Amino acid sequence: MLSIKDLKVTVDGSPILQGLNLQVRPGEVHAIMGPNGSGKSTLAHVLTGREGYQVTGGEVRFEGENLLDLEVEERAHKGLFLALQYPVELPGVNNMVFLREALNAIRSARGETPLDAVQFLKLVREKARAVNIDPELLKRSVNAGFSGGEKKRNEILQMALLEPKLAILDETDSGLDIDALRVVADGVNALRTPERAMIVVTHYQRLLDYIEPDFVHVLAGGRILRSGDKSLALELEEKGYGWITGEAAA
Amino acid sequence: MNAVAPIQDQARERYRELLAATAPELPGQNLEWLRTQRSEATERFLDKGFPTRKDEAWRYTSLDKLLEQPVTTRAPAVAGLSESDIEGFAISAKPAARLVFVNGVWAPQLSHARGVTDGVQVAGLRAALERMPEQIGYWLGSAAGTAPTSFAALNTALLADGVWIYLPAGVRLSAPIELLYLSSGTDSTLAVSPRNLIVLENGAEATVVEHYASYDAANSFTNSLTEIQLGDAARLEHNRLQDEHPLAAHLSSLFIRQGRASHYRGLGVSLGGTWSRTEYHNRFGQSDARCDLDGLYVAGDRQLTDFHLDIQHAVPGCTSQERFKGILLGRGRAVFDGRIRVEQDAQQTDAFLSNHNLLLSRDAEVDTKPQLEIFADDVKCAHGTTIGQIEPAQMFYLRSRGIPEADARRMLSLGFAAELLADCGVPEFAAHVEGRLQTLLEGDARTSEQQ
Repeated sequence: MLSIKDLKVTVDGSPILQGLNLQVRPGEVHAIMGPNGSGKSTLAHVLTGREGYQVTGGEVRFEGENLLDLEVEERAHKGLFLALQYPVELPGVNNMVFLREALNAIRSARGETPLDAVQFLKLVREKARAVNIDPELLKRSVNAGFSGGEKKRNEILQMALLEPKLAILDETDSGLDIDALRVVADGVNALRTPERAMIVVTHYQRLLDYIEPDFVHVLAGGRILRSGDKSLALELEEKGYGWITGEAAA
Repeated sequence: MNAVAPIQDQARERYRELLAATAPELPGQNLEWLRTQRSEATERFLDKGFPTRKDEAWRYTSLDKLLEQPVTTRAPAVAGLSESDIEGFAISAKPAARLVFVNGVWAPQLSHARGVTDGVQVAGLRAALERMPEQIGYWLGSAAGTAPTSFAALNTALLADGVWIYLPAGVRLSAPIELLYLSSGTDSTLAVSPRNLIVLENGAEATVVEHYASYDAANSFTNSLTEIQLGDAARLEHNRLQDEHPLAAHLSSLFIRQGRASHYRGLGVSLGGTWSRTEYHNRFGQSDARCDLDGLYVAGDRQLTDFHLDIQHAVPGCTSQERFKGILLGRGRAVFDGRIRVEQDAQQTDAFLSNHNLLLSRDAEVDTKPQLEIFADDVKCAHGTTIGQIEPAQMFYLRSRGIPEADARRMLSLGFAAELLADCGVPEFAAHVEGRLQTLLEGDARTSEQQ
């Protein structure tokens, strides 16, 4: 589904990703772990097309297509979704209107008929229940004045509505207490299907107690230094990142 | 002739002829006080002439284009207009009254005042002058004074019609009184001078919607003057929409006088016109009054929109809050000149002024000048001004959810205006303005794509 080969990215001339390789197949959950500044968020943003990142080498193919040639919204239309570490506040933009515009933009791009107001309301209520989000939040401006947990839940609600093929969760655990983390993780787990792939970017192992990955990759210095199964995450928790990054330097 | 401002002087001569030709045809010739007011205003106008950019209040606004054009007060015949022609301009589904003015003249056949009771008077000013000249004579000029500006003097000199709204003490009218001013085209610029007089006696409450629009492609020049008198504890919700044709020129001057503990609340929206200017003059003469004035403007490609506020706190304990927001497109230009003056005796004044601008194009331009002049020492005053563009992070967020760039820009621009529309006391007015904003922003997106 996703194939990243020797990806090199710079930000303001400084190299951040320096030859990254990753293969993701349908239904797989990949955890990307690594110390601060290792390039985890850069990877998430480059895949979704955020400005400010220069790709200087390598390629990224999504279902056979050159992903890096596509506009931000086209990537969303193809089934890519990024849950942001810091969801953006949109004062004055009604959450319900935002969700409907997003869903209908994606439906139109896929050649499906847009949902009318009644159909949409039914669907969004159902999804809101499924991810345990307060329906009152649907009536407010997008993320404006939301708590950290509410913002993250709103991200998961968007994911539930837009039904992406590949979801990237960027530090979804940051700023959440253990109860909020569990609610968000339950929401994510409910969206796991044999077709949908996920990339879970995280600094800490604790998120992986709730979202169990098929593969764990350690990213440091712009490369994946080690890959393994979920036991690798536990080993990292015990020994710290120095264990791997030190080994690579040696 | 003054060589420094030949356009102003030529225009003054043109208007001198126009005023001389029009004066004998104006209504109320039998009323001596009215003839005197008009001739004094004519003299003041001819004495002052048109402002130039050397006048501080006109520094950013050039009148040259307007003043170069030939001008007439002779409106084309519009007798053929029927109710179905004006349906599309209606804002409220069930107004207490809807008065329609065509080229400045009240059209009773298109108007009604079905929901008006309890001694409330809603009529054309010309008709009111015939029926109750003493009462009109008492109130006319009571808020505007002796017409302190050239354009106010010009309005009085050409005073022919407009609206007369009067609420006796204690009468509360909840449904809006809607005023629709339509202009239609002529070969030369048609000067229209509506004069509106709104009087709320002590404890009266009303909602008024003023709507200026063009019936067809109109190179009209509307020079409207609205006088508002609020008695003690009176309350007026006053929403205005200037939505004229892109060829039109529009000036609105508002003069507001507030009694003790009265409340003026309004949203002033300016969308149309090649050139438009709105002036709010409010002088608090009695304590504990409150003025909440919001404003929203969109300056589209090659449009110039100008807002001037002159809020004077002369007595203690009054509150004024002014929030203005502007969206600029293409080569649009906006001017915001907001002045709050707190005089020495005006202790316990609470005054707040903000002006935020969203530039959607590199070629747009805004000149903003908020001014707080404070001469009292026990007051709470603040102001804030911003000029910004759409946040890239917000844009990315919407696009990452599949929303195309043009739609994302429109959503964020509407979001910028949403706060003011949400606080508007007439939901139908807010909804109408939101619809017009949608249309203008969609039109802008299409133009941008073609370039």
